[in-house]
Amino acid sequence: MTATSGKIILHLDFNTYFASVEQQANPFLRGKPIGIAGKGRENLQGGFGRVTVNGLNPERFKRSVITTASRQAKRSGVKTAMATWEALKICPDLIIIPGDPRKYAQITKRFLQILRSNCDEVEQFSTDEAFANITTASGGDYLGATLLAERIRNQVRDDCGEVATVSIGVGPNKLVAKLASESVKPNGLTVITPEAVEEFVLGRSLADVCGIGPRLESRLGAMGVTSIATLKKVALPILLREFKQYGLFLYQASRGIGPDYLEDDQADPLSIGQSYTFPYNLSNELEVKTNLLALADRVAWRLRKQGLAAKKISVFVRWDSFSGWSGSRAIKDPIYDGRELTDVGWSMILPRLRSGTINTKPGAMSFELAVRQLGISVSDLIQLDTAEPLLKKDQKKKNTLLALDKVSAKFGTGSWQRLSTLCTVFKERVSGWHYDHED
Amino acid sequence: MQHQYLDEPVDVTVLFSGRRVRPIKVIWGRTVFVVDKLNLVHSAREGLDKVFFFSVSSRDSFMQLRLNCKNLEWRLIESFVP
Repeated sequence: MTATSGKIILHLDFNTYFASVEQQANPFLRGKPIGIAGKGRENLQGGFGRVTVNGLNPERFKRSVITTASRQAKRSGVKTAMATWEALKICPDLIIIPGDPRKYAQITKRFLQILRSNCDEVEQFSTDEAFANITTASGGDYLGATLLAERIRNQVRDDCGEVATVSIGVGPNKLVAKLASESVKPNGLTVITPEAVEEFVLGRSLADVCGIGPRLESRLGAMGVTSIATLKKVALPILLREFKQYGLFLYQASRGIGPDYLEDDQADPLSIGQSYTFPYNLSNELEVKTNLLALADRVAWRLRKQGLAAKKISVFVRWDSFSGWSGSRAIKDPIYDGRELTDVGWSMILPRLRSGTINTKPGAMSFELAVRQLGISVSDLIQLDTAEPLLKKDQKKKNTLLALDKVSAKFGTGSWQRLSTLCTVFKERVSGWHYDHED
Repeated sequence: MQHQYLDEPVDVTVLFSGRRVRPIKVIWGRTVFVVDKLNLVHSAREGLDKVFFFSVSSRDSFMQLRLNCKNLEWRLIESFVP
């Protein structure tokens, strides 16, 4: 974690990603205010029948939110996560486009492929953002880095279209590279050498720093810290006292110091998890358990896909009051089956669910403990044992899972499910997990 | 402006160039749509079948076409007339 380790980091960020991809596909949307609805096309009434979207919006889109607004819509005040009805109120000309995750997933694969073929290491940061270590690929200097960044930008334009533009930032660490890419939009290329870091960072606002959100900004404001320059003047002990360990991050961020290591997703992951916020709160034990099983099956599939098994399981529950609880447990024998993950996770969750139960009927819970969000993750990962299990029932289970994995590899997550999880339906989300099959 | 999501069979004339397919004319009922530009191609799996989506436009409208690689059926799935 230093600004002078010699590494060169590139950050690539698509500009108004989903909206740009739609404008790339349909030239009549270019230059117009458009908003991509969070609800995908599967939510259109009657599926893929003849449906008119704009002019007469299907009822369901009135309850949707805007996931991405085009630059033209942003100028009218439309923001990400704004309710569709609210966006239409402030921008009556807004064209609502139902999200198309398949399209976006493919563009994401294309730009990651470009980065992987040009860079030393790649870390996908989100659907439309990635970091890359280009220290070796650039020849170790900032002229080579600039030329490489320009080549990457041209390749993205060739493969993803001229409208789906990217902004690229280059710097000595991830913090500076991200600040750089966001400093010039759209279609920017900003290179910050180690010598220029201090001056560049001082010119940014607090909100520009990834990790300083509105709440933290307001807490800093209450301390009289309203800019990077004033943050830099605050002594480390004061920041540590006020923000605990996060104070160190603030201290370093104000000096342009940030991490320069990448978590390359081609390398073995440290943990794998899946969580889901339900469309309604779950207030029945059986519902919670079957949804946990459905999530665990997804985690287990991702584990096996990477040839791994887990020795530690963590679960997370957010109640309808927005408070949350999490727990974890280490296990002796590594697990790679969703059913077994569920058994361990459920043994941790169940006492919590029952601890506040008012109604003692089996399967009933109090409203205070209705579940809004559920998550399960695994860590302490080891290589999956390829040896044939000794017991016949274990052999049968392993063979069944391997057969199911072939189905998942071909058709994606959710292509099969257990009978007991048939009532769980994870809705398509624009940036969702439905399109992870092999092409 | 008329923006519709559909699922209707269409006849498509294509150009083959190496491993690439480029739609040049779409016949939808009595309407003949001459493709001026191929804007984006993406693919996906639908059940057992691999499908390709072609986002194409003419001077006055946009269409998204779906080609099923298994039965070579073309369908019009989106139409946009500004």
